[in-house]
Formats: sequence, structure tokens, C-alpha cells
Amino acid sequence: MRGGGRVEKSMALKVAMIGWEYPPHKVGGLGTHCYGLTRSLADMGVSIDFYMPHADKIKTDKDNLTFKGIGEEIFPYDTVNLGGDFFERVNRYNELCVKEIQKNSYGLLHCHDWLTINAGIMLKKKLNIPLVLTIHSTEYDRSGWLNSNQWFIDIEKKGMENADKIIAVSYYTRKILMKKYGVPKEKIRVIHNAVTPIGEGGKKLKIVLFMGRLTIQKGPEFFIRAAKKVLEAEDCLFVVAGAGDMLPQLVDLAVNLGISNRVMFTGKLTDEELHHIYRIAQVYVLPSVSEPFGITALEALSAGTPIIVSKSSGVSEILKTCLRVDFWDIDEMANKIVTLLRYAPLRKELAKHAKEEIKFFTWDLCARKTFDVYKEVV
Amino acid sequence: MCIRRLFNIPSVCLYFEVHQPIRLKRFSVFSIGSEANPYDTYFDHELNRNIFYRVAKKCYLPTNELLYELISKYNGKFKVSYSLTGTFIELCEKHFPDVISSFMKLRKTGCVDFLDETYYHSLSSLYDNLTEFERQVKMHRDMMKEKFDYTPSVFRNTEAIYDNRIAKKVKEIGYKGIITEGTEKILGWRSPNYLYKPAKSNIKVLLRNYPLSDDIGFRFSAKGWSGYPLTADKFAAWVSQSPGDIINIFIDYETFGEHQWSDTGIFGFLRHLPDELLKYSNVDFITPAEAVKRYEPVGEIDVPFAISWADMARDVSTWLGNDMQRDAFNELKSLEEPLMRKANPELLLHVWRLLQCSDHLYYQCTKGLADGDVHQYFNPYDSPYEGFINYMNIIQDLKQRAYR
Repeated sequence: MRGGGRVEKSMALKVAMIGWEYPPHKVGGLGTHCYGLTRSLADMGVSIDFYMPHADKIKTDKDNLTFKGIGEEIFPYDTVNLGGDFFERVNRYNELCVKEIQKNSYGLLHCHDWLTINAGIMLKKKLNIPLVLTIHSTEYDRSGWLNSNQWFIDIEKKGMENADKIIAVSYYTRKILMKKYGVPKEKIRVIHNAVTPIGEGGKKLKIVLFMGRLTIQKGPEFFIRAAKKVLEAEDCLFVVAGAGDMLPQLVDLAVNLGISNRVMFTGKLTDEELHHIYRIAQVYVLPSVSEPFGITALEALSAGTPIIVSKSSGVSEILKTCLRVDFWDIDEMANKIVTLLRYAPLRKELAKHAKEEIKFFTWDLCARKTFDVYKEVV
Repeated sequence: MCIRRLFNIPSVCLYFEVHQPIRLKRFSVFSIGSEANPYDTYFDHELNRNIFYRVAKKCYLPTNELLYELISKYNGKFKVSYSLTGTFIELCEKHFPDVISSFMKLRKTGCVDFLDETYYHSLSSLYDNLTEFERQVKMHRDMMKEKFDYTPSVFRNTEAIYDNRIAKKVKEIGYKGIITEGTEKILGWRSPNYLYKPAKSNIKVLLRNYPLSDDIGFRFSAKGWSGYPLTADKFAAWVSQSPGDIINIFIDYETFGEHQWSDTGIFGFLRHLPDELLKYSNVDFITPAEAVKRYEPVGEIDVPFAISWADMARDVSTWLGNDMQRDAFNELKSLEEPLMRKANPELLLHVWRLLQCSDHLYYQCTKGLADGDVHQYFNPYDSPYEGFINYMNIIQDLKQRAYR
């Protein structure tokens, strides 16, 4: 470990991190990332105040990791229904963050995605401290590259322009930031996500699993269409775990394809249920249209389940132990699902090598690299 | 005692493996059970033609031309040897017959020796009994007779795979010599620069000098290597200082122009190599056929488990190292019996044998680190897992045909 001089230097740094997801208030990869990252950074000696809309349920066992609830409710991912007072709430949250954060003294601001970026920009100017912005997803990803909302794109762009350094969760994302947002390459650091291993356990059943928000970005429709093709050759159960606006449409699709008795929609699962389904599934599919990273793929691997991942994903660029497909290529997706179900040695080899490869994806490593970015700007 | 040994005069044996697999089409699990012609359904003729064209133009034709020039120039003093696999010859005939003529021209110089091997560059030497192996060796022998009017006297098994059992069988078939890897695993402290004999049979074994061979084959353009840049005079000096009877430099022919691109200077190296080697009065060129006549074994090698010249492990783990490979290999092997029982098995047998080509299993190798990099470079698949899926799907289709 090259950490000799690291500790005393990181001791001095106090970071105001502004987020909106943190377990158990969590809907996606951003929350998982913030959890893993902050705990490892704290272990390294960095002091973090983590600002959240609500922090009542969050427990901390580390002196230098504190959670501060601002008192505003926002759930940006659960629904695309952005009507009502959603934008007002976001604004209010940002304003409240500014008010709270400027009461204290920090060496650095760290924001995650567009939702908190306005607070970051205002505070950077007021406090004259550097701003780091991590991009977990862009509007292009979330919209599946269809009907992207310019309002989000503009605010993302503004954030990227004002940030001193940007952390992208993959080269895939870096490319989007450079191409679509005009960010210079030198300003971006790629730090891949990590995983807290779930571990194997339970008897494997002939289950093919999808886990994610049921939105266009995650490609659940391609999963159902591949299921139809798979069932022509192999009997098995398809589990769609997750909630989202596409649910009614997906149920309809399964019914129309005549496979509703082989497709199970679970809704949102608890962590315990999730771990269980990861463990007993025989195949995990991540068919995303545009996936900046894809932590769920690593989670499935860590539970001993072989994975098929979309080529349009960050996780596919670094992982050797996976099968890759184009998200739209239903036939190839089905081919890979069937062969995984049919050829036990294939599953065995993938599981064996996954166990080795998964060891490289630790939050400690992610935190060390993040701290290197902090050092660049402080 | 041979006079050359008395004065420590090493002979140099330059031998090239010339092989191309017949690569597979993408074959989905949903295609299993079709009635279409298996030869056209399994093999990607267009891909094979494109690759063959590229390698013929970058390697086979220019290298043959250069060697022909050198052989003519040195008037019998410069000699080389080849083994041409059956799949290579089939690709030549189908896509680029000029390449065969160019080898024929070399053969007529009288300074070129050819070796035999299994026609399909297969792993049939590892089957439970060696009947299929023997068939494929004879097919190669017949092919050499028919195309080149030549009967080789030395044998080199697929990727130099060798053990006591294989040596014994090769001797029985009638060969005078066999080639394998000069690895410490079988030699211990002994030098590869001599002939040996197997533990329980009487055939001469030629051993590849792997440090010198790999200097050309792998390290030639490696900038981080202490020997870089490798020049003909430097290499000739190393060879002349190597004690022994015979220095066996055995490499892939595609080293010239394909693995080592033309701009690395590999052709210039080859052009000057005979001149630089012949500057040493103690050095001469020899073919394997001449070597087994001239030299006697100095000792015995006992090889109960198969070795090869592949990877760092120098065993058969490159092809059979993981569960996918072993499973596919066993499935493939199991088709021999049903196929042999069929009424008109010719086409299916040919297809079955083309699938035995070791490359298809090589693509499924999951070894990491240094070895894995080499594998990935030659791998037409995105990953070894994809290689397995495609291959296994095809075997399952053939299996249905075998029992139909």
C-alpha cells in the first residue's frame, strides 16, 4: 500500500458532499456509490458532512462521517412525472443546502449529478473552494437517447463547466461528456464503481433475472422480447425485479407474447429479497440502452451468477468475466441466455473467474482514486 | 563419434509451422437442428478467404520469394523446412492456389524438407485410443505425396504435443524422427541441442531451442527486451556460441510479416541471417531429415504426461485447461463412434475433423496474464466464453446429425 503520507494529508481535508440518495433512502447506483465511497473515504481519514434531503434513518458508526438532513422530499428517479412542484422542490433543496453549508467551513465540495449542482456552483463562488462533480448518469442515458430534456442537459452542462474536476464512472460516460457536453478530456477522471460482495448461497434455479428501474434506459422491453425467444428452446422463469413507469406496458407485452406464466414481476425488493434472488438466479441480464456503469452486474457476479451485459455500458468495458450483447440484438441475447442455461461448464468457468475478478472492484480503491482527484484541486 | 561434435560444430535447423484453421461462422443455439449443408453452415468462407488473402500477401508469398532467392544464392548451403497442415492446403486450394505453387517451387530446389503431422492440426493424439490420430497422419502423408510428391521422414505433432505414447505410435507408423519442445520439464539440466530418444521406443527426438526460437518469434520487436533490436549478426553470434550438435529454431511461419509486421525489419533480418550464420566456419544448415541421419541420440527422455510448445506452461492446458474446453473436447470425441457407423459419412467426417482443429479450443482458453494477451490477439471472438458458446452450438448440431 502506498498510503504512507496519505493519512496526515487526508486528515486535514473536510468535504461537504451533497447527495440525495443514501441507504436506506436509495433507489439506484448513485446511492450505492455514495455509501461505499463515503465510508472508505472516512476510513482514510477524510472528514465528510453528507447533505441529504432527509437523514433520519441513516446510521453512522464513523466519527468523521456525518449526515445532515435538510428537510425536503425529492424522488427524482421513481417517476418521470416531473410535474407538480418537483422543480420547486429541487430548487428549495439546493437553496437550503447553500444556507446550511455556508455556516460551516469546508475545503472542498463534492456533488453528484445534476440535482445538487446548483448548490455546488453557488457555494463554490461564495466560499471560494473547489468543486468536484461526479457524473453517474446524463440526461442522454436516462432518456435512452430519445426525447432528451434540454432543461436537464443545460443544468448538467453548467455544472460541468463550473466544476474544477469531473469524475465519470466509466470511459463510456467520459465519451458522452466530451462529445455531447464539450468537456475537455483533461478535466475528466474516470473512476469505475465497485461492489460490496453479496456472496453465494442458496440453490440455483432456472431463473433469468432483470433488476433495475423499469424505464426506457434500462431496456426491460428487450429482456421480455428475448424471454419469448428463449422459451421456444428452454423452459425457465424470467424475473423482472424493480419498479418504474414502464411496468403496465411490460406486463401487457408479456401477456401479448403469451409468456405471462413465465415472467414474474416482483416490484421493488428489499435488500434481503434482492440478495436472495441474485443468489438463486442462473443468469443475470443487464440490457440497458445506455448504462454509465451498471453496479447491479457486479452485484450479480458477486452472488455467483453469470451475467450478460449490454455493450452500451460502463461495466462491459472493464469486465472480462461477462458476455456482451447489443441491447437491441434480441436473438443474440436469447442465444446467450439459452447457452448459459444449457451448458453448465460455461456457467462454472464464468463463476470461477468472476470470483477472482470481483476482488478488483473495491470501494477502497474507488475512494483512493477519488482522493487523488481531491488532491489535484485542493 | 561424429567429427562435427568433436570440434563443436553446431548445425542450424530452421523449421516453420505453416497453419491456418478453417474458422467458424457465428452459429446460434437456435440454428441447431437445421438440414442445410454443414460445411457451409459451420464455416465462414468469406472470413477465411479474407484472412487467408491478408496473410498470403503479407507473409506466405513474400517470405517464400525471399527464401527462394536465398536458397538460390547460397547454392545448397542454405536449407529450410516446413510442415503444411491439411487445413492450410485446403484454404490455399479454395482461395489462393498460387501459394501452393510457390511452395512447390521451393520444394524443387532440393533444399527444402517437409514434415508430416495430423492433417487437421488436431488433438487426436490425446484421444483414448490412437486410431483416429493414425488416420489423420496418413491423410497428411497422402496429401504430401499427392501435392508435393514428397514423403517426409520426420513428424511434428500439433503444436509439438508429445508424450511417450505418441512417440511410440509415430515410430510404429514409420517415422525416423519426431519434434517437440526442448523444455526443462523433460531435460532437467541437459541441453536441447542434441538428439534424444524416448524412454520406451526407438525414434530420434529433435528438441526446439526455445530461447533462441522465441527471440525471433516473440521478442523480435519487443522494445523492452535487452536484446532489442535483434540483428542477424547478433543472433548469428548467439547461435555460434551455443554448444551442441544441432540448434533447432522452430517458429510459426506467420512470424514473418504477420506476427512481426514488415516494418519491424523482420524481412531484413531473415535476408541477412544465412550470410551472418555462414560467416562462422563452424556453422551449417541442416534439415530434420538430414539431422536424423547424421546424429545419434545422446540420452533418453521420459515423458509420461503430454508436453507442447504452447504458452509458459508447455503442456496441453492451452487447449484443455478449463471445464469448457474439456467438455467441448469430450463431446467432440464422442461423435467418432456414431459418425463411423453412418452410411455415407464422408462429408460429416470431414466436418467433424475440421472441428478437431486445435485452434477452436485455443480460442476458449481463459488463462490470464502474459499468455492471455497472446490468446486475445489471435482470438476472433470477444471472449473465450463466446468461443465456447459458438463451438458448442455447432458440436450440438453435428451431434444431432450424427445420430439422425
